[in-house]
Amino acid sequence: MTAGVERPPRALPRLAVPGAPLLEVDDLRTHFTLAGDVVRAVDGVSFRLDAGEALGIAGESGCGKTTTALSLVRLLPANAKIVGGSIRLHGIDLATRSETAIRRYRWREISIVFQGAMNALNPVARVRDQIAEPIVERLGVDGRTARRRAGELLELVGIPRARGSAYPHELSGGMRQRAMIAMALACDPAIVIGDEPTTALDVMVQAQILDLLERLRERLGLSLILITHDLSVIAETCDRVLIMYAGRVAEEGPVAEVFTRPRHPYTQKLLNAFPNIQADRRTLDVIPGSPPDLRNPPPGCRFAPRCPMAMAVCSEIVPPEVAFGDRVRVACHLYPEGSSGEPIAVPAVAQVGQA
Amino acid sequence: MSGDEGRMEGRVKGRPEGVHYGGAEGRAEADELLRVEGLEVHFPIRRGALDLLPGRQHGAVRAVDGIDLTIRRGEVLALVGESGSGKTTTGRVVVKLTAPTGGRVVFDGRDVTNLRDAAAMRDYRQRVQMIFQDPYETLNPKQSIGDFVAEPLDVNHLASSADDRRQRVLAALDAAGLRPAEDFARRYPHELSGGQRQRVVIAGVLVMGPELVVADEPVSMLDVSIRTELLRLMLDLRAERGLTYLFITHDLALAWVLADRIAVMYLGRIMEIGPAEGVIANPHNPYTRALVSVSPTTTPPAAGVRATRTILVGETPDAAHVPTGCRFHPRCPLAFDRCRAEEPPLFDVGGGQAAACWLAEGGRDLPILAGIPLPGVGVATPAAGDELAAGDEAAAQA
Amino acid sequence: MTAAGASWSPPIQAGRGSGRLGLLIRLVRRPEGAFGVAILAVFGVLAIAPELFVGPLQTAVTAPGTRLSPPSAAFPLGTDELRRDMLNLVVHGARVSMAIGLLATVVTVLIGAVVGIISGFLGGRVDAVLMRITDFFLVIPTFVLALILTPIIRDLVGSASREILGIRMTLIVIIIVIGITSWSSTARIIRSQTLSLKERAFVDRARVIGAGGGHIMRRHILPNVINLIVANAVLVFAGAVLTETTLSFVGLGDPFQPSWGQLLEAARSVGAPGLGAWWYFVPPGVSIVLVVFAFTLVGGALDDLLNPKRRGRA
Repeated sequence: MTAGVERPPRALPRLAVPGAPLLEVDDLRTHFTLAGDVVRAVDGVSFRLDAGEALGIAGESGCGKTTTALSLVRLLPANAKIVGGSIRLHGIDLATRSETAIRRYRWREISIVFQGAMNALNPVARVRDQIAEPIVERLGVDGRTARRRAGELLELVGIPRARGSAYPHELSGGMRQRAMIAMALACDPAIVIGDEPTTALDVMVQAQILDLLERLRERLGLSLILITHDLSVIAETCDRVLIMYAGRVAEEGPVAEVFTRPRHPYTQKLLNAFPNIQADRRTLDVIPGSPPDLRNPPPGCRFAPRCPMAMAVCSEIVPPEVAFGDRVRVACHLYPEGSSGEPIAVPAVAQVGQA
Repeated sequence: MSGDEGRMEGRVKGRPEGVHYGGAEGRAEADELLRVEGLEVHFPIRRGALDLLPGRQHGAVRAVDGIDLTIRRGEVLALVGESGSGKTTTGRVVVKLTAPTGGRVVFDGRDVTNLRDAAAMRDYRQRVQMIFQDPYETLNPKQSIGDFVAEPLDVNHLASSADDRRQRVLAALDAAGLRPAEDFARRYPHELSGGQRQRVVIAGVLVMGPELVVADEPVSMLDVSIRTELLRLMLDLRAERGLTYLFITHDLALAWVLADRIAVMYLGRIMEIGPAEGVIANPHNPYTRALVSVSPTTTPPAAGVRATRTILVGETPDAAHVPTGCRFHPRCPLAFDRCRAEEPPLFDVGGGQAAACWLAEGGRDLPILAGIPLPGVGVATPAAGDELAAGDEAAAQA
Repeated sequence: MTAAGASWSPPIQAGRGSGRLGLLIRLVRRPEGAFGVAILAVFGVLAIAPELFVGPLQTAVTAPGTRLSPPSAAFPLGTDELRRDMLNLVVHGARVSMAIGLLATVVTVLIGAVVGIISGFLGGRVDAVLMRITDFFLVIPTFVLALILTPIIRDLVGSASREILGIRMTLIVIIIVIGITSWSSTARIIRSQTLSLKERAFVDRARVIGAGGGHIMRRHILPNVINLIVANAVLVFAGAVLTETTLSFVGLGDPFQPSWGQLLEAARSVGAPGLGAWWYFVPPGVSIVLVVFAFTLVGGALDDLLNPKRRGRA
């Protein structure tokens, strides 16, 4: 999708490397320390985001997608640390910079709408003031200008300007989520990360929010990273998808490819575990077992214990990521380097639903 | 945990072998397990101490505003709706957590709306149970799993001896897929995962041997891969024990996978009801159709072509300010004069399906909308003061 | 801007630190908790078996020292006007003060918890009536009420020399008075917690399976407020010690029992401050402060530990 912009092109940050892609994550590793154990939450994740693109990061809870998002904006909790890899924003490595240096980029180049954000608004401050706050702090403008800009942002996300003087509890869930999006846009970032932006919203409101994100993308030339467990959100909104499992990448590629011709067994099972009202099937696949304990992940492929297609090599050697012609990357021994890359259908172990 | 499928000897209550309960019409009355007539649940809004005086109130929240529903033995009826639709309240009325303010509830031929008799209440509770939504909240953190599952027996004095109690608890845990049952019975909730906790909840339901199970969003708080396992368990139990489910959910797609029949609720009323396939493939109520069009799908839109989604404008109005006439009319892309004035009843549209819409009168189909720009259809541009508009409109017409 | 909880929880959590013992362990891990528990342990031991440390309680007859002598090698805390060893008196005083404190706490917490749970759970008119009564007791100054009640209860209870379970009547009176004046804040706290517990899903579930109010209050509400009760009781204990001290100081205590408050009163009436006999009132005063401080530390630490935010989910 081309980014149709209605404003002048954004200025690059001072330290930007000319010609570098917008965002390039290479072998990112983020570990937690939990009661003495090391949890390898993100263990070698790489991907790239170009200007105007929407990338979806999908996986079940515990797969490391939220940790990845928080690593990008360096807002990890105290017991987590980036232990390896790089996060290059316009070629500038955010993973290694100091906290003070990061503050120059956070919110101005890359911002985030947190999970459950609509419940994270300050209940005793008016919505408009909350949106104005980052504008004042980051861009150094005075309060009046900031509040005016906040009003513009509210309009941009579909909240009537007059509602800006309301307190969060006076707004519905959908409106609050829009307000959070306005806050994320406050300093005109190049990339907005949405962590489960539509969970806990009604399906109609969800459609409205996704639609809003889509239109913002077109109007502002935004790049999006959507983190979600809900594959349908990604199907509707994103250009490319990254499927994560237990801290690693299982499959990555254009949505149109990955969702219609999934290769990795986990991708296939995951897709079939979602009800799809438009497809003809009325059954859901069951994925037996549960995700591994990331304090002691299994050797080799982390999905091997649950994979119906597991071979001996799978529990010994970590499958390398292999790229195929249709710009899909897969990390699975079924698709080694040099193979045709034809998807191998994974049989259903058990199904539930109206057959 | 649950990989293996041990088939349990269940108690099948009077259901003939091999009969498949689909959603076809023309079933005999004897098949009806639960019937709800004109059910109303209005919560009075009271402000200030003076309002404690009887008779004084400032309007009411009309959570459930007159619904008729029938659940047939052995079927899965999905009650679908967004928040504020009244679906959870309806479920609570059925399990007698909330008292109705109007209408009737008939269970197995008997009126159970107001049960005074303690024995009758006990009997009802034994036969009608609920699976709750949040597995992290439904278990008392201080109570062991065994005690939790045994509690229905204890409270109703159903176990003949300590040994009987133990056997029944272990059997229920086993049937819910928690093996070894003895081990699980000793544990406490914080030692279990979300999926396991929900199985405990199910075991707590099974131990009573119910006929009707109200499942209120039983899997919405679980991970996708755990969800399917739980749902499989629930459907297996239906087959083994002849259970009947009232499945409450906001997820229309999930209802489509699981349910025989679907009832769609909006702001306290049923907008459409019928066999799942019919309601989804051929909705006769614009709300249903909009809901179907925005329901999650993992089929990506074809390159360059937007899916034809009907994204409604604004959000569901609050149940204290229900619009006059058809309550959906302020957001309906097909509303006309009659909709603003009169509330439509459920019209039969054939195939066991009924829709509450003036356009469905006489069993007509909804007009096709594609390509016709209508207010509120297609890409939503929330105009200024939308949410207010719906309420204002209603107030203006009041 | 806060980072959202990108926490990772292990799939199955072993049962750690959830029971009473676990709570104690976690309490002691914190510096203020450890400190408080240590002080209380010392005084507790002294209170249980004072004879082991200083011999039997000295009387005017068995007093060994000279009148009001300052601390020396023989008498580390000096002597009082009856020539008794101050150390002996202070240690025995621990037993009286702590015993009164404990019993008064039991009475207070019992009344407060029962009222709080019933009021919170039943709601409606019962709640309204009970809360008005609670507010009444909450609003009246504790000390004034104690002053008024003590003679009344004394009359009701009868002769001062009787004993119940080895506790003299005068002390029973003090215990009752402290109980009556302190239960209301406990009731309020427990009621708050009950109100929020009442709305939780496991209470709904109990109703759905047919449990009655009594069962729910006993099996579901009570076990979930116990920890709060304990934390509150610790602070009530501190307050009870203080109230007893004050009552004794104004002469409403039992002159034959050397509670710390009683010792302070004796010091005052002998004119110890004016005479410069600091060893008479400083030891009991410091003991009171230490004990109350220790209770407050422990109570505060328990409060923190029981904060719902700390409750992890599997």
